[in-house]
Amino acid sequence: MIYFENVTKVYGGDVVALKDVNLGVEAGEFVFLVGASGSGKSTMMRLILKEMEPTRGAISVDGAKLSAIPRRYVPKHRRNIGCVFQDFKLLPNKTAAENVAYAMEVTGQKRRAIRTRVPQILELVGLGGKKGAYPGQLSGGEQQRVSIARAFVSQPPILIADEPTGNLDPDTSVGIMQLLHRINRIGTTVLVATHDREMVDVMRKRVVALEEGQVVRDMAKGGYTSEV
Amino acid sequence: MRSSNLGFFLREALKNLRLNLLMSVTAATTTVICVLILGLGLVTYSHVGAFLDSIGRDISMTAYFPEDFSSERVEEVRENVEAYPEISEVRYVSKEQALEDFKETLSEQPDIVEGLPGDVLPASLEITLNNPGDSGAVVQRLQDEGFGEDDLRRNEELAESFETFAYWIMLILGTVTALFLLASVLLVSNVIRLSIFARRKEIEVMKLVGASDGFVRTPFVLEGLVQGLAGATLAALLVAWANSAFVDWAREALPLVPVASGAGKILLVVLILLATGILIGIAGSYFSVRRFLKV
Repeated sequence: MIYFENVTKVYGGDVVALKDVNLGVEAGEFVFLVGASGSGKSTMMRLILKEMEPTRGAISVDGAKLSAIPRRYVPKHRRNIGCVFQDFKLLPNKTAAENVAYAMEVTGQKRRAIRTRVPQILELVGLGGKKGAYPGQLSGGEQQRVSIARAFVSQPPILIADEPTGNLDPDTSVGIMQLLHRINRIGTTVLVATHDREMVDVMRKRVVALEEGQVVRDMAKGGYTSEV
Repeated sequence: MRSSNLGFFLREALKNLRLNLLMSVTAATTTVICVLILGLGLVTYSHVGAFLDSIGRDISMTAYFPEDFSSERVEEVRENVEAYPEISEVRYVSKEQALEDFKETLSEQPDIVEGLPGDVLPASLEITLNNPGDSGAVVQRLQDEGFGEDDLRRNEELAESFETFAYWIMLILGTVTALFLLASVLLVSNVIRLSIFARRKEIEVMKLVGASDGFVRTPFVLEGLVQGLAGATLAALLVAWANSAFVDWAREALPLVPVASGAGKILLVVLILLATGILIGIAGSYFSVRRFLKV
């Protein structure tokens, strides 16, 4: 589903973010990407979204070579990938329901479809009663649930989450991870970048560890560190 | 853009205008200033132009009939001259009329003209030209009719310097208006850019959830259109009002100066102003958003 082949990314000519990374994620997998800040996790996420181009190497997502996607087809590419961010990235002037609906509106879906689908998905993430609330009126965990609902509303084949629990307390984090797990169980490929040690250890999923831009460990049902 | 999206875009644009009311009002107000400058420039330009034109039309030459012309010959020449294409108006001044005019000029000292014989002054043609530049050609034709060099009084130098004067006045007016317009367009585009800069995070999020450039841009451009139209409408009303106030005042205070009311012209000016405001709003938003779409 997601393949990195000898990918190197250099920022501004001398900051090496990724060094010769090879990684394959198959459809339906749940993968944790772990590592300290600056180890290259976010860079991988941004490359998958084609926010920028790798310096060397090739990336393919859902069967398409990213370097071959012209700029005007980038929006279409992104609609295949649901995104969840550490800072939620909700539109502040839109209610929870409107934020979720926006992701359907950009794909040109019919209003009737939007009106039935949005309440369903908000119910699914446990926010059935807060459809009309603005992001400022919601707690961090609730905002992240809205953001997951938005990422998943069009049922993309891939969902990527960059530090989804980075701003949340441990109890709230468990709820968010359970939600991601449920989304994975219905067949979505889920890639989660995190340094939430406890969560990774509890979930027992595939773990890919990055250090200074290189993959140093890749194990099925792994823990945050190799000892576990 | 699909037609079913239009409603969505309009709702988005109106909602954003309301939510960013202060910025919207600022952009619209700046547009008022910009369009107002253009409008006042255009109106001034057209008034000064019309005024200079009317002075230009007054520039004339006088052809005095030589003593040896018979009255039949005078009549014939008069008809010929009236047919010249370069001429807009010919006034025949008979000997008696010339003396009358002379007496009127010297009405303060009647004793000077007392007892002058009726034919002391020559009859003449007062000729008004369409274009001061044609005076050379007209002089040539008159000389062919038998007028001597001394019989023609022309204001060639005056005409030429007037042409130059009018040319410079219009050039300066045009340049000043253009410079002010340029400055105010830059001001408006800066205000629009600031208001969009404040919302660059929103644009980034829209792009990340898969919105195309056009999808993000359209509500912004519609907002720009509304702001531009609102500002231009206010400015156009102000210009139309200022113009009619000026025309009324001028008719009262300067009865001798011909002032064109130009009702048709002011309508054209208003249309130009509305189009300019809309264009500034749309273009300003379009180009400002474009800078933040590269996500």
